[in-house]
Amino acid sequence: MDFIEVKNVSKVFRINRRKSGVTGMLANLFVPKYEKKEAVKNLNFSIGQGEMVGFIGPNGAGKSTTIKMLSGILFPESGEITVGGFIPYKQRKTYVGSIGVVFGQKSQLQWDLPVIDSFELLKAIYRVPEGVYKKNLDRYTGMLDMGGFLNQPVRQLSLGQRMRADIVAALLHSPKIVFFDEPTIGVDVVGKETIRNFIRDLNRQDHVTMIFTTHDMQDIEKTCDRLIIIDKGSKVYDGTLPGIRERYGTTRQLDVEFVEHKEVAPIPKVEIIELDNNKKRFVFESHEVHINELMDHLLSHYNIRDINISEPEIESIIRKIYSGEYL
Amino acid sequence: MIKLAPYLAYAKKCFLGRSAYRFDHLMNILSTCLQIFIFWGIYHALYGENTEVDGITLPMVATNFVLSMGLGAVFSTNDYFFPDKIHDGSIATELLRPISVPGRMIAENAGNALFNLIFRFTPALVLSILIIGISAPAGVGMFILFLISVLLGYGVLWAISFSVQMTAFWFVNVWSITTIKNVFINVLSGSMIPLWFMPGWMKGVLYLTPFSSIYFTPVQIYLGQLTYQEIALKCAVQGMWIILIYLAGDFLWKKGQKKLVVQGG
Repeated sequence: MDFIEVKNVSKVFRINRRKSGVTGMLANLFVPKYEKKEAVKNLNFSIGQGEMVGFIGPNGAGKSTTIKMLSGILFPESGEITVGGFIPYKQRKTYVGSIGVVFGQKSQLQWDLPVIDSFELLKAIYRVPEGVYKKNLDRYTGMLDMGGFLNQPVRQLSLGQRMRADIVAALLHSPKIVFFDEPTIGVDVVGKETIRNFIRDLNRQDHVTMIFTTHDMQDIEKTCDRLIIIDKGSKVYDGTLPGIRERYGTTRQLDVEFVEHKEVAPIPKVEIIELDNNKKRFVFESHEVHINELMDHLLSHYNIRDINISEPEIESIIRKIYSGEYL
Repeated sequence: MIKLAPYLAYAKKCFLGRSAYRFDHLMNILSTCLQIFIFWGIYHALYGENTEVDGITLPMVATNFVLSMGLGAVFSTNDYFFPDKIHDGSIATELLRPISVPGRMIAENAGNALFNLIFRFTPALVLSILIIGISAPAGVGMFILFLISVLLGYGVLWAISFSVQMTAFWFVNVWSITTIKNVFINVLSGSMIPLWFMPGWMKGVLYLTPFSSIYFTPVQIYLGQLTYQEIALKCAVQGMWIILIYLAGDFLWKKGQKKLVVQGG
């Protein structure tokens, strides 16, 4: 059995449907209408110890709900979850001592207290031995370059600083598993890079198992080996990042600049798009049209100044998956 | 085995955090004193020339106010601690800690109560003794029993607050139900109208509710109105209420977690 096992898990929320305006308010007061929303539908996956998995999906896909079930906060409606031999929602108190969670949108620090005081409180709550605490604190604050603001109250920190403090807060007790729920949200480019490098180093050096949700594909590209995509509560992809290109990213585009303006005769299974006067774009599926043959054909029939082949960006593949083009 | 260190850390944090707002703190002492003096003034006027009414002397009434209102200030719990966490979704963070949430609530409230006892009750008590005077306890033994009963009374009050807070899982906004709870406690616990003056039938009913065991039982013990046998019985009743009400709250807590919705993403 794998370290993290999720089997046929579903979670349903009851949502109050309310019409707008005064009449809607009155109607809702007397006859409230509820609608069931399946946030997570029959989800299955397993993750091995030390893996680093990107968990992505559009807003409302059920990512955060899944993370909250994995971390013992929410009870699943049906199905089974085991993490490192624990059933998170049933053995919450013992289980959460071995995990760390970073919610990008919810700080776990004490708003009015200096960062270091929050850390001290966490040390007491998790009963972290003094030596381990000291070691972790020095190491992580060094890696994240936090020396400058440890004594500032949390409310005076910038978002990037607060996020780094939150990450350290989740790691002080040396958790075996860490869930990152949008840890780079609202952070600038430099800050994002620092956080990504930190997360990757931690995974490589300490073999901490990590699940990482984000909307920034660069986060995934720079940190994760494996990717799980969910949409409308169900899994739509589970595999490596190159794998997703193989499976969905079969479209290639060839931008050709001709020496002179010339009409190009139609080529089967290739879409030709007029760009500038001398430039044309040839779009095709790599498994339908052989790139060599296409190039041969073009080179032998036309005078060509420049050629440029490109694969689709991972971002655009993901966008297509979200918008349902591949379903 | 319950390990206490994390809970003590919470109690300490709460105790220290309270000293941050000095002005608020002074006003709290003042408000406790005012409350006591106003009620004492009313009863002083009502007594007029009489030294006692139904066998109850004015100093006894004053003692009741000073003790029950003073203790009320010590016991004041944050009834919105848990509802606020449901409301803004920070309950998620609470559940990530390897500790019991009710235990954490007890710890916070205990830290708070200790602060109130030292810095709010004591000054108010001294001022009250200097200005209106209260009866002395009915002996050392009775005073010790009184202290035990005070602790139990706090337990009852805490359990009620805990159970009401747990309804936030369903109602989210619990302002109204909390207000109703507080009105019941203020009126029926004898802290505004000493239960001696309630009509006989009502006294009978109130003795069957948890409210009379919060302040009135300790006050009666302090004044030496109860025999040892009665004290044992009343303290047992206090204990029973703590257990019953806590179990009800715990039931809501366990049931609520299953239907928890974490608000705000």
